[in-house]
Amino acid sequence: MGVLSALMRGLVRGADRMAEFTSKRGPRTFYKSRGARPTGVLTASRKFIPVQAMIPEFVVPSLEGFNLKPYVSYKTPAGTEQPMTPEMLFNQVLAPQIERDIEEGVFSEENLEKYGLEKTQEGKLFKLHPKNFVR
Amino acid sequence: MSSMRLTALLSMAAKAAFPRDYRYGTNRPWTIAAQRLNPPGKKRRKVFVEPIANEDWHVLRGDTVEILSGKDKGKQGKVAQVFRRRSWVILEGLNTHYRYIGRSGDYRGTYIASEAPLLLKDVTLIDPTDRKPTDIEWRYTEEGERVRVSVRTGRIIPKPVYQRRDGIIPQQWKDGPKDTSPEDTLQKTYTPSLKTLEEEVMEKMNIQEDRRPRKSYWY
Repeated sequence: MGVLSALMRGLVRGADRMAEFTSKRGPRTFYKSRGARPTGVLTASRKFIPVQAMIPEFVVPSLEGFNLKPYVSYKTPAGTEQPMTPEMLFNQVLAPQIERDIEEGVFSEENLEKYGLEKTQEGKLFKLHPKNFVR
Repeated sequence: MSSMRLTALLSMAAKAAFPRDYRYGTNRPWTIAAQRLNPPGKKRRKVFVEPIANEDWHVLRGDTVEILSGKDKGKQGKVAQVFRRRSWVILEGLNTHYRYIGRSGDYRGTYIASEAPLLLKDVTLIDPTDRKPTDIEWRYTEEGERVRVSVRTGRIIPKPVYQRRDGIIPQQWKDGPKDTSPEDTLQKTYTPSLKTLEEEVMEKMNIQEDRRPRKSYWY
């Protein structure tokens, strides 16, 4: 209903000005996209050239032996695992290796790449900060 | 174009906000009936409610309570709904008035009994031992659990069993073809690693991606 509830009381007359002006309104010549990403390039002679790289392609692995289904049964009890925090991830993945290196005496602060830590996010496809992937 | 949409998306809080002096009724605030009774500009006389802290609230949905005053004084009933903002309690089938519902054109509608809310002070919980009304206190057991205790007899009043609104009883649920079984759900297959999910998937499926996106800016 939106602003039209005020219309019911007869105080305001006219169309709903705050409604979104979508491609369903306006004259025939009015073009507006509804948010779909383009899958090609529109040339100067108004010809559309589809670009294969812009069309999404689903690469699905084989689902042999994969038992997870879309829904979860109601009988499942609540899980007991804590959500993963950065501290837990560090303790489980990096702490053992770093401790071992410190005991052997090989640990050096310039050589942190061998544990998987990166100096910069430049050149990576999926950057952690600024995050350039949706998930 | 998509850059404008991103900032617009980020600024959208989109949580239903109600004014501080909104008068809450028996209709849920997002329904059409509630919008008709409380349109955005309307100001109603303030209704005064004795503030009760969330921990001190002792009537829960599903409890059996007895009515102390009103038309159905002395009757016991099960709590169907609780409105904490107005200290209201709606019992099933008690304190009813009758009205027509679903009228259209000439058809006057179905004649049904609709329950009116009762204030918290007109209602008390019932002692399970002798099924008489009693006062309630919140006390701690030996284990440290916070329970409701009847002042007269000292008997603990257990919390009512939580029933889902859609009527599903988890123990009696039969798995459908699209339901994952509990054993498969509780299997722990996660190995912590520093790679993101996308990078792990690319490694497993041998996807090589050497192109990098062009640098772009958004405001």
